[in-house]
Amino acid sequence: MRGLFTLLLQREWRHHPWRHGVALLAVALGVALAFSVHLINQSALAEFSAAVRNANGEPDLTLRGAREGFDEAVFDRIATDPGVALASPVLEVDTYGQAADGKRVALRVLGLDLLRAAPMAPALMPKPAAGEDRLVFLDPGAAFPNPGASSLLGVAEGGTLKLQAGSAWLPFRMAGSTAAGGTPLVVMDIAGAQQAFGKLGRLSRIDVRLQPGVQRAAWLAALALPADVAATAADDAEQRVSNLSRAYRVNLTVLALVALFVGAFLVFSVVSLGVAQRTPAFALLGVLGLTARQRQLWVLGECALLGAAGSVLGLLAGAGMAAAALRLLAGDLGGGYFPGIVPPLQVGAVGTLVFGLLGTASAVLGGWWPARQAAAMSPALALKGLGTPGGSAPPAWPGLALLAVGTAAAFVPPLFGLPLAAYVGVAALLLGGVALVPAVVHGLLSTVSAAQRARLGALPLLALQRARFQRRTATAAVAGVVASLALSVALTVMVASFREGVTQWLSSVLPADLYARSAASGSTAEQAWLPPDFAARAAAVPGVARVLASRTRTLQLAPDRPGVSLISRALPAPQDALPLLQAPLPASVVRAGEVGVFVSEAMVSLYGAELGSRLTLPLAGVQVAVRVRGVWRDYARQFGAVVMDEADYRRLTGDERLNDLALWLTPGASAAEAQDGLRALLPDPQMLEFASAGELRQLSLRIFDRSFAVTYYLQAVAIAIGLIGIAASLSAQVLARRKEFGLLAHLGLTRRQVVAVVAGEAGAWVAAGTLVGLVLGVAVSMVLVFVVNPQSFHWTMDLVMPWGRLAALAGAVLVAGTTTAAFSARRAAGRAAVLSVKEDW
Amino acid sequence: MRRPYVDARMSTPASRRPYADPSMLTVTSLSKRFGDSPVFHDVSLNLPRGQFVALLGESGVGKSTLLNCIAGLDRADTGSVHIAGTDLSTLNDDGCARLRREQLGFVFQAFHVLPHLTVAENVSLPLRLLRRHDEKRVATLLAAVGLQGLGERLPAQLSGGQLQRVAIARAVVHGPGLILADEPTGNLDPGTARLVLDVLRAEVQDTGAACLLVTHSEAAAARADRVLRLTATGIVTA
Repeated sequence: MRGLFTLLLQREWRHHPWRHGVALLAVALGVALAFSVHLINQSALAEFSAAVRNANGEPDLTLRGAREGFDEAVFDRIATDPGVALASPVLEVDTYGQAADGKRVALRVLGLDLLRAAPMAPALMPKPAAGEDRLVFLDPGAAFPNPGASSLLGVAEGGTLKLQAGSAWLPFRMAGSTAAGGTPLVVMDIAGAQQAFGKLGRLSRIDVRLQPGVQRAAWLAALALPADVAATAADDAEQRVSNLSRAYRVNLTVLALVALFVGAFLVFSVVSLGVAQRTPAFALLGVLGLTARQRQLWVLGECALLGAAGSVLGLLAGAGMAAAALRLLAGDLGGGYFPGIVPPLQVGAVGTLVFGLLGTASAVLGGWWPARQAAAMSPALALKGLGTPGGSAPPAWPGLALLAVGTAAAFVPPLFGLPLAAYVGVAALLLGGVALVPAVVHGLLSTVSAAQRARLGALPLLALQRARFQRRTATAAVAGVVASLALSVALTVMVASFREGVTQWLSSVLPADLYARSAASGSTAEQAWLPPDFAARAAAVPGVARVLASRTRTLQLAPDRPGVSLISRALPAPQDALPLLQAPLPASVVRAGEVGVFVSEAMVSLYGAELGSRLTLPLAGVQVAVRVRGVWRDYARQFGAVVMDEADYRRLTGDERLNDLALWLTPGASAAEAQDGLRALLPDPQMLEFASAGELRQLSLRIFDRSFAVTYYLQAVAIAIGLIGIAASLSAQVLARRKEFGLLAHLGLTRRQVVAVVAGEAGAWVAAGTLVGLVLGVAVSMVLVFVVNPQSFHWTMDLVMPWGRLAALAGAVLVAGTTTAAFSARRAAGRAAVLSVKEDW
Repeated sequence: MRRPYVDARMSTPASRRPYADPSMLTVTSLSKRFGDSPVFHDVSLNLPRGQFVALLGESGVGKSTLLNCIAGLDRADTGSVHIAGTDLSTLNDDGCARLRREQLGFVFQAFHVLPHLTVAENVSLPLRLLRRHDEKRVATLLAAVGLQGLGERLPAQLSGGQLQRVAIARAVVHGPGLILADEPTGNLDPGTARLVLDVLRAEVQDTGAACLLVTHSEAAAARADRVLRLTATGIVTA
């Protein structure tokens, strides 16, 4: 049996190498895409986590304060506590260093008590440069960059390393280096760092190693930490890094798996064609004793082999793609979550096995239906060329049930912070829609009565009766159209809605002509700031008509989540200044002792900051009660932002420093001259970055398009696979009808008429599939727009239907499907068809 | 023997239309090669209306290819074919198709009924192609070939003999002038084969159509008005 299987399989593959090659390629592509996305993310995450571990060392726990730090008196209590074996104080400062070419390089300064830090975080221990004293790390003027910082700064050992403090450059001697990998980092003595960055008496965190036998919970309870200090587990930082990119990674992986799903449809089409072609052979083998189950297993075995071969190819290609992407994109897949690291490729056995099995399973899934067809055939009838009748009407309930499940799943809240139920919903909707096609086709065909049938001409009668007889085969081809078009439509609508949302949002948040900022991120804004009088001086620069200044900081509201941006700015009319989702609550809702704030949508999903609700923010060492007066749309900060009136902010914190300026120019003023005038106000012109509203809009949309590049690719793959599927399915049907065409030629049908009847039939089928695919695609896009996006990224958007592109998409599928069928029919209606009437099987 | 379907037939079947040429089929010096291999050579034959002619020949001698050339489904290398006075070489493929639609009826060894059409729909196909669908005529013909009441069945529900009778009904339903039958009894038991030949013969007799029966069976050939034999050198009278 195995010998016969191998022999016939070899013959089949040798006879139709292109066809099986395409199916193999589809599986390989899907596996390669999914596996490479997995590898890139895994490698980047592992490298980033390792960097975090290096920087944090291996404490039992960390006591962490707000961004502005906490009183170092806490350290004295901790260090002398009998339950503590070792305590290491740390000051973290995010700022800029000045590279050799004068440009600014974002980096983190770690101020450490190196004698205490050494046993806890040995990777951070500085290695003195040649000629430096062994204890040079105690020198407050010495700095030790890690390899990431060194390569970007380009400053040689012994040279001067300048670090930004406010709007000044502070010089440090590069007295050596530290081996810690990962993002740019500079280690220095904690006292020197406190002095240099205006943090005297302040600490960011204390890493603690407990005495053996001390219970952490009990010890913490007895400790009675101040309100602005919280204990976090050692792995919270890693978790925070993971959470930062998790939604993006999961969405990318799901998209990649979609390619595999579509690949399964191609396998289905190709195997269907193979089964149709080999019907006589299967029938003969059936007569010779091959059971229906054996025929089914035969086809499934072929699919498993194809899937396994495709998976192996895909795994190899995926690893190659991941290695190349890590070198070229440095582990960043467009989301911008892993800046500054070039991780090595890390291939895990479990991931490899899982993706290999997924590829094989997708091929087996694709072959399931044709395998059933092979099993269901009647060998005796097939040998007579009478085929297997379509059977009874297919039940509609499985499709309806799947649609109901899909709809219900769309209303399930996120699980583990991810739209897992919504993904299940999308899959259920797609499968439900495809499963319903036979029932819908049956329903449509049933509307033609016997009396109407009697009046039909030969060609319409042939088309109708064939559709009734072969509805399962025909609907198989349509199912491919439905699946691929629905996916493409869903992705098109989702991306168009998102892009339109971002475009509109950019128009509302970028009202000024020119924008200037002192720091690129909230964390570096802590140290790279502009002096309080800068706004007034900027307003006096020739060409500047009006200035709106703001201060941006990062607040840590939850230890395992990325920080929340706090933006302080003048808010005379919030409804004009922010893209609010609804009218703001009046200032009267803010009670005594509270401050009114406006939060982004992410704050609502992540921290329950509903409109009118109250929450507390850690500001200036105290917990400040705030009342949410409005919720605004923010596509820039996925993990939340809070806007507070600058008067309130300054009153609460005494912080009058600035980071960002929105500048309106006088009519006819030169933006370049205004920039020069503004730069002249600072000691180093590099300390201010400028961009026009147009440039920011362009840059934002470029980043957007880069982030969604993979979806464009997937759309192309889905459509290509859908079309190949149509071609294969229609070819299978046309092939099965060769004798019919031969007979029709004998009865007097011209070749053109044969082609017309096939193209007409195919056109009708593809049109039906296109219509169902469009409807299903719009339904899936609504789940993506209204559920997956808010649950993944915590922002909402309006549904935008790009009718022109959808019409072009549908038209392309329709034309391609019909043309393919006509082409197949032209071949099938040739002389071979005439000769086929001589075949007696 | 009077056939009940004769009266219900279309008023002027192709076989009864007046023609100046009493010959339905004239084949003159027809030759065909596939590459270097000759299929048949210098074949000539004349088939008057109302005549039932059997053509015998060894396997591979080119009987089916000859039928294809006669039907305009294949082109001969040399020689000519005239059907009802029309020279096929003057027709393009579409013209040949139209001629087949109006003048020819085919019966094959392997029946070739379409599995997705009912029995009645299969029989009605030539009429529908000519836009002259007539349900009564189809029903009458089905009764004539012994398939009364089976019109709504699918081919898969019929036996081989019944299928061949469906094929014969389809071949004559539009009243063709020439019936080309390629081994129509090859797959049938002797009794059914006899019945099929009865139907064909009656059709020729009643309508004046000509019939060219290609067969291996001497018994079938014996039912013909004239028996010819196709050989490597042409056609000889058997």
